Amino acid sequence: MATQPSDNTEFPPEIILKPLALIGLSGLDIVNNAVHKTIWDAFSNNRRPDRASVRFKILNNTFEFPVVKPKRNSYEWYIPKGILKKNWIQKRVNLIPAVVVIFYDMEWNDPQWNEKIIECASRVQSIRAAVEGHTTRVAVVVVQSGLSPPPSEYMLGAERAQALCAACEIQSKSLFVLPHSDHLMGYIIRLENAFYDIAQNYYHHETKNIKQHRDHLNKTTHQYLFVRHQFKLGYLNELKQDLSTAHKHYMHSYNNLLETRTVDTNMHEIRTVAGYINYKLCKLLFALNLPRDAIAQLKSHIERYKNRVGPTELLFEHYAWIARQYSAFGELFDETIRAGLPAIQSQHPGFYYQQAAQFTVMRRQAMRSVCCDALQYPPPPDPLEGIVEFYGQRPWRPGRLSADPHDPQKEQAAVLALQYNERMFNHSAMIISFLGNAISQFKTFHSPRMRKQLVVEMANEYYYCADYGKALTLLTHMLWDYRREKWWFLASHVLNRALQCAYLSAKIQDYIQLSVEALSKHIQVPNNDKDRIFKNIMSVLNLNIPSPEPDLPASSQSKALELWQMAVEREPFAITIDMANISSFLEVKTKFRQQRYRTDEIVEVELYVRLNYVTSLEVRKLSVTISSNTESIEIPISDNGNSVISLVGGKVRKFLCQFKTNPQDSGSDLHIKNVSFILDSDRKRKIVMNFKVEESKVLESAVHPELLHFILSPKSDYEFDCIVPSTVASITARECRLSLDITNACPALQGEWFPTSFTIRNNENTEVNNVAITLSLLSSPDNPNPDSVTELSWKPEQSQGQPLKVSAATVNKSASYSNIFYLKSNRTTSITVQIKVTYLIDLPEIPKLECVKDFTTKITVTKPFEVTTHFVAMNFKPITKCFVDDPFIVMPQIKILSPWDLLIVDTELEVANCFNYGDNSKPSSCISNLEVAEKNVASDAICVKAKYKPKDLPTRVGLYNITWRRSNNIEGLCVRSTTALSGIPVDDCPIAIEVNYPEVVELQTSIPLKCTLFGKSDTPVRLSLAVEGTDAYMFSGYKKLTVTVPPHDKVELIYNIHPLVAGNTTPPRLKATVLGESAKQEVVTEMFEKIFPQNIFVMPKYNK
Amino acid sequence: MAVCVAVIGKDNSPLYIGGVGNDTNTDNELSRQWLVHTALDALEERLATNNTNTANSASNSSRTDLRDLYLGLLYSTDTHKIYGYVTNTRIKLVLVTSSTSPSGSNIRDAEVRTALRRLHALYADAICNPFHLPGDQITSLKFDKQVKNLLLNNV
Repeated sequence: MATQPSDNTEFPPEIILKPLALIGLSGLDIVNNAVHKTIWDAFSNNRRPDRASVRFKILNNTFEFPVVKPKRNSYEWYIPKGILKKNWIQKRVNLIPAVVVIFYDMEWNDPQWNEKIIECASRVQSIRAAVEGHTTRVAVVVVQSGLSPPPSEYMLGAERAQALCAACEIQSKSLFVLPHSDHLMGYIIRLENAFYDIAQNYYHHETKNIKQHRDHLNKTTHQYLFVRHQFKLGYLNELKQDLSTAHKHYMHSYNNLLETRTVDTNMHEIRTVAGYINYKLCKLLFALNLPRDAIAQLKSHIERYKNRVGPTELLFEHYAWIARQYSAFGELFDETIRAGLPAIQSQHPGFYYQQAAQFTVMRRQAMRSVCCDALQYPPPPDPLEGIVEFYGQRPWRPGRLSADPHDPQKEQAAVLALQYNERMFNHSAMIISFLGNAISQFKTFHSPRMRKQLVVEMANEYYYCADYGKALTLLTHMLWDYRREKWWFLASHVLNRALQCAYLSAKIQDYIQLSVEALSKHIQVPNNDKDRIFKNIMSVLNLNIPSPEPDLPASSQSKALELWQMAVEREPFAITIDMANISSFLEVKTKFRQQRYRTDEIVEVELYVRLNYVTSLEVRKLSVTISSNTESIEIPISDNGNSVISLVGGKVRKFLCQFKTNPQDSGSDLHIKNVSFILDSDRKRKIVMNFKVEESKVLESAVHPELLHFILSPKSDYEFDCIVPSTVASITARECRLSLDITNACPALQGEWFPTSFTIRNNENTEVNNVAITLSLLSSPDNPNPDSVTELSWKPEQSQGQPLKVSAATVNKSASYSNIFYLKSNRTTSITVQIKVTYLIDLPEIPKLECVKDFTTKITVTKPFEVTTHFVAMNFKPITKCFVDDPFIVMPQIKILSPWDLLIVDTELEVANCFNYGDNSKPSSCISNLEVAEKNVASDAICVKAKYKPKDLPTRVGLYNITWRRSNNIEGLCVRSTTALSGIPVDDCPIAIEVNYPEVVELQTSIPLKCTLFGKSDTPVRLSLAVEGTDAYMFSGYKKLTVTVPPHDKVELIYNIHPLVAGNTTPPRLKATVLGESAKQEVVTEMFEKIFPQNIFVMPKYNK
Repeated sequence: MAVCVAVIGKDNSPLYIGGVGNDTNTDNELSRQWLVHTALDALEERLATNNTNTANSASNSSRTDLRDLYLGLLYSTDTHKIYGYVTNTRIKLVLVTSSTSPSGSNIRDAEVRTALRRLHALYADAICNPFHLPGDQITSLKFDKQVKNLLLNNV
């Protein structure tokens, strides 16, 4: 607030300061006595908020208390001369202490006790005499060394203290002892609180005194006193730190003041006092943590006094007063926030500073309308000199209450003096200061746009006080934001003012830039006078002085002309404008014709330029800057060979820019970086307009490119609006003229080393050198990890690391290079092989150009065959389970899927652990050396038996190995494919059965049927056997019997059967029931069912 | 009585600003634009807090769906009251009433809500024009007329 100019509306410091109880310290010699100095420092230094609200003051011997006014017995004839005396608060806070504390050095066991006590008493007496008339309390502090006295003297201390109280005529509770040796701070704080208590007591007593006056007052003549007394009560309560009571009294005071009749003569006094009381009220409300009430109080305060304008010739005083109310409130609010009050976006001090600024603007307007005649200060005697006793009273008529001016001439002179002072007052500085405060508040409370508006207002203020440089700086910053959010109307407003500032301060750079922007179609200029602006640009270019902007303050015009006369001949001669960030009269779109170029192609950039402003413009030089990662080149653009390019208003011109790429840029991107227009007039000055292209900018283009097609744009303008700029193009290697032939017998079969031969033919015009071929597997959606299942090699049966590389050195023109690679895949899928050829070629323009060509070939892999398994019993009946030691046959069936003929070289079955071959030796294959074609099925048969019952169901019988090769591949290597054959459940039975019977018998011939039961378990098995006879046979032997099969031994049962009918017959069958252990019943029944023959063929008997 | 309505795009550029009163007066237009522009501060703040609130409530999708487009009174100055409304595509509608005129100061919240909903509907109609480019200023005469009507009669 240092910059704030002084005016008479500021609040006096005693109103603003927080009232603190005043405590006078006497008898401390802080200059000569070190102990006293430390005591004083402890009292006065480091006063943190948690210490008592008191203020200490050293009373030296020369201190004089204010004289007490004689007590008035009756108010009957007393007419107050004003509302609040200026010196009253001053007296309370500085001159009349609530307590006077007398410090005296004395030990209780002092040898000269009697003299000391007399001296102390006399000091107390002299203080008493000095404060005569005031009710100021007196307290005595005895400063002691603090060394504890011998116990015998405890009583002495008490006695002597009493004696001291008596001698000084003080109460015992007003006597304190301060040992200064140690814990001084603790004692000081205790003393301080004790003093504070006494002070509160004193102020309470004072308020009582004032309250007594009230009975004597009457409303007709003493209205002022009602206000004054309540104010005093409020203030005393504030000193007492009783804030809510203080608020109550201030409120009474405020309301009493409202009831006062106001006329022009006392208007100033009333509103001044009202402002002070309101300030106190708001401050207390904030302190009581009632910010809403404080705001409401201010609002109603302003509302009440808004229309109490006072004399018209001093209208500005009214606005000044309102502005001050707002700004003071803003400061209060701000202080409270800094002390921890949370504020929000819609309610913070910024609004009050803003109001203060607005009313200061109104104050200036009022000044302009009423102070035009106040051209000089009135002649002496100065009417404004003189001492006023009351707040807000006029020096030329102090203490007068009557409404009529007693001396019209003096009154007139005074008004003139005030008006003259007001004219001289720097309103702009004040407004700027208020706005500055408001801006920082709005920034704090997330209101960037409100802040911007205030900054523009601030800039306007700088403009009014002719500080064009500052105004221009502020405006150009704000212009940026409005332009970005496309608030063109506001941007126009800001730009026009900025242009005025730039003209008045003759800043060529800003002037040209703003003028160029002013020609934009978005910007509205006053009187729509864009021709003048264009002419101004041209005159600056020709080193002439531009014509002034409209509505300039007349006082600054001549100065501006002088500035221009100096500026036109001076730097800067080259004015560079960054056009990409501003809206202007030129629009540029650039486009690469293609998204990618080969290194041997010519890059073509299309450049479209539209001049929006209706004029013709000669561009001396137009160039495009293009950058790659190695270099940045600037390419001049010519118009049919003419480097001067003329543009016509409203028309689109198209230019084509062609260039060759640098071969080193292969694989990188080209960027259009800049389009530069240079206006020149052969007279040193030139204007460079740069359209810089930034990647980020292109992306956040306001309109989506796909929407551009909807814009209606004239065909003659190359449909300018629909052009989607493309500022990036990639450079790829030159096209390679090599061809590749692939020969292979696709599809490949799973597991084989599949040969593929490739031939690379050189179709280039010259030989190629350093040819290197790299083979690698590419992943595809159906084969994401080709490396894990596929092997590549130059030789079969030898896996090599990928990628495969081979160098073919030099391949002559039209010659070719061939090679074979092998591939083996363990999965049926399709494999993509990439063949990448790199080579160097010597071209006429570029020697040793590296070229790259990628070929790919796709190889599908299929299964050569499919193996299924069948299980059959020894009689070739299908079975679903087998028994331990019961042989059965595994029949693998090989179904050929390969489109190519195959030769099955050999097959074998590797049985799993729980199985064994049926014979003792490994059986040879049934289908070795078998040639098969597609869709053939080859069946093998191997007899196996289970050795034991495994814990889990066996998953497979064994691994079936097939050794095969393509049948046309005579010398080729065989492939061994392994298939797991599916498992069969194994069960075990406590007994095994062997039945001997012939397959074929003759009718009417008895044959033996021998049945042997083997005990397989470790315990004997008891069986009840019964023969199930049939009509076709007669039989002999036990029909029903019980046998015990001993463990690991056998029982033989022999029957004779005698067929009675011919044909397929069912012989008698044995059925067994396990006795005892029923758990095995099922398996035993199954075993009997399986073993006993279902049929026997009976031949008829022929008579020979 | 509303004195001004504005349609503001999602990038905070003005799409339409219409008001009753003497349109040719530049000062009037300027103060109107300032008013609407600064209202964006309050709007954005409101949106930001709304967003954090909805984010806090554990991505309660049904709640975000039911989010009221009408934001209510944004703030009031000595002379004007400013109401806000935000569509789901972040188009901001602002309605300004005069707190000095009797019809403006006694306006009910529900009336403003209705008016802004109506404005939303009008806006939707206007941009249904296939030749209107999203993000461009609304130049439709019909829209202008309807909005002026809305300003005069409805509220």
